[in-house]
Amino acid sequence: MLTVLKIAWRSIWRNRRRTLISMSAVGFGLLLIIFYSGLMAGVLGDARNQLDNTGMGHVEITAEGWRAQRDVRASLAEPDAVLASLPLPPNTDAGWRIVSRALVTSARGAEGIELHGVDWAREATLSHHARTLLEGRFPADGDRQGLVLGEKLAARLKVGVGSRVRLMVQGTDGELAANLFRVRGIFASPSPAISKGRVLLGREAAARLLGSGAAGHQIVLQLDRAAAAETVAAAVRAELGAGYEVLSYGDMLPALRNMEELGDSVVLFAALFVYLLVGLGILNTMLMSVLERTREFGVLRAIGTRPGRVVAQVLGESFWIATLSAAAGLAAGLALTWYGSQHAIIDMSASVGEAYEVGGAVMSSALKTEFSVRAALQSTALVYLMALFTGLYPAWKVAKMPPAEALHSN
Amino acid sequence: MPVIEVKNVTKEYLDNGAVVTRALQGVDLTVEKGEFMALAGPSGSGKTTLLNLIGALDTVTSGSIRIEGREITGLPQRDLSDLRRDRIGFVFQAYNLVPVLTAAENAEYVLELQGVQPAERRRRVAELFTRMGMADLLDARPLKMSGGQQQRVAVARALASKPAIILADEPTANLDQKTGRALIELMREMNHEQGVTFVFSTHDPMVLEQADRIVRLVDGKIAADERKSGSALAAG
Repeated sequence: MLTVLKIAWRSIWRNRRRTLISMSAVGFGLLLIIFYSGLMAGVLGDARNQLDNTGMGHVEITAEGWRAQRDVRASLAEPDAVLASLPLPPNTDAGWRIVSRALVTSARGAEGIELHGVDWAREATLSHHARTLLEGRFPADGDRQGLVLGEKLAARLKVGVGSRVRLMVQGTDGELAANLFRVRGIFASPSPAISKGRVLLGREAAARLLGSGAAGHQIVLQLDRAAAAETVAAAVRAELGAGYEVLSYGDMLPALRNMEELGDSVVLFAALFVYLLVGLGILNTMLMSVLERTREFGVLRAIGTRPGRVVAQVLGESFWIATLSAAAGLAAGLALTWYGSQHAIIDMSASVGEAYEVGGAVMSSALKTEFSVRAALQSTALVYLMALFTGLYPAWKVAKMPPAEALHSN
Repeated sequence: MPVIEVKNVTKEYLDNGAVVTRALQGVDLTVEKGEFMALAGPSGSGKTTLLNLIGALDTVTSGSIRIEGREITGLPQRDLSDLRRDRIGFVFQAYNLVPVLTAAENAEYVLELQGVQPAERRRRVAELFTRMGMADLLDARPLKMSGGQQQRVAVARALASKPAIILADEPTANLDQKTGRALIELMREMNHEQGVTFVFSTHDPMVLEQADRIVRLVDGKIAADERKSGSALAAG
């Protein structure tokens, strides 16, 4: 076998230029696949990561019918008990909220908003709001008067940290209820709808205002792997049965799901296209290289080389071309993808700000790649196998040729 | 036991099922061990075809060929490869060394196919090259060698596996007379030393002069079979 590889190694360098062009085609094709897959994974991964920027979970559980009407009476009676009963994967971050429509007024204005009654400590990990505070802080536990609101809402109400605002809701008993609160913090959000329409209030204060007792409206699950959302949602749905609505982020944000599906299709199509081009390129090179040496293979057959060894020798040449070019393509692909994961490949922040919204999904304006050695190795394995097996046809063609015919070829 | 037995062999080349060329027509030939024999005849007389059939490089249309008593017609490709590897050596008109291998590696190649260990391969090839007076060529690449040197290495490659028969197709055709004569003398020496049977196809009068036996082919048939007796060739 060593001799086979030695002869194959020397043979590929007989026509150095042709070999280098073939290797460049394979390596560059692989580089493109790795980089493009990384870019799509980066963009979509960023969109999934941005879910907690909006406070949305990878999976959300609500009472059946609540989502359509946002009726505060359509609540989960014992959200803590529901949470405790769920079959959740390890490292899942889970919590629940009270959610209600409300009117917030200040001395300078009034706005319709969505009120989230939250456990402040839990909310700090369930959403990005605590990390995107422009002013102030999240209220401490036991702070019954403190609330946090979005940047655009604060601007419209012309309030700042320390200002007093009034929240008015329709309670669970159908009566209007109102109370005064003090602004403790102002958060930024890439979503204009959230920035101008969301107020966070302590859960106890929200329950008292709405008269909702221990009930909640929205259980939020942030998974370790967003990709597991559909599976987890299905398992939770099966566990809870009727009376609950369990949705994955894909169900709640069809635009993001469509983007994911489109992204997968585009990557697959692009990869197939590149594989095809690379495959044809190597096939052409190998065919030329082998057929112009038909006489030489005839000599090898004449002096006793079995057809199988002739196949092995041609595959040996494919092996070297595939190995060298795949190694180079992998190294370059990993380097470029790593660079792209550290620095924005495309930065649109000057025109659209830090993020923009597409169908409810928040997208970062700085496009970065996702650096994944595993994904790169998968792409490499495919290109490698394809490059290797492309040698089979010329190998078979020359090995099956009768030696006398091969010896008399030009 | 004859080393080569060709019985009533016909070779036809077909195109779309129709016979285009009848290269050999009912050829009978027996070659004994240790003969130094030439196949002579004009171009197209069937010399190379007969050599290819004896060397198991091609298959007969009808008839039978035995090598050292073993019938080779109908053998599978794998067995034919093994037969060539172990019992038959080839020397071609165009030398046909593998250009990416050194002279020694070319000669070692068949030994490797035979499963001979690397150290033993190197020892045997070095010894053979020394005996053939070309120890200085061991590490030379074919493209750096003259035609005569390449053909000598080709003979070494053919001899390295210790075959029973060496088939040489116009071995001197690309060499000048002096080099050609030296090559034939080398082959003659190996024939005497090792008892290897040599069968040439040739036009070269110098090769014919050296041969113990000349089989003349005309239009795919044996027209004469002449054996040297003393300095003369006797009709067979």
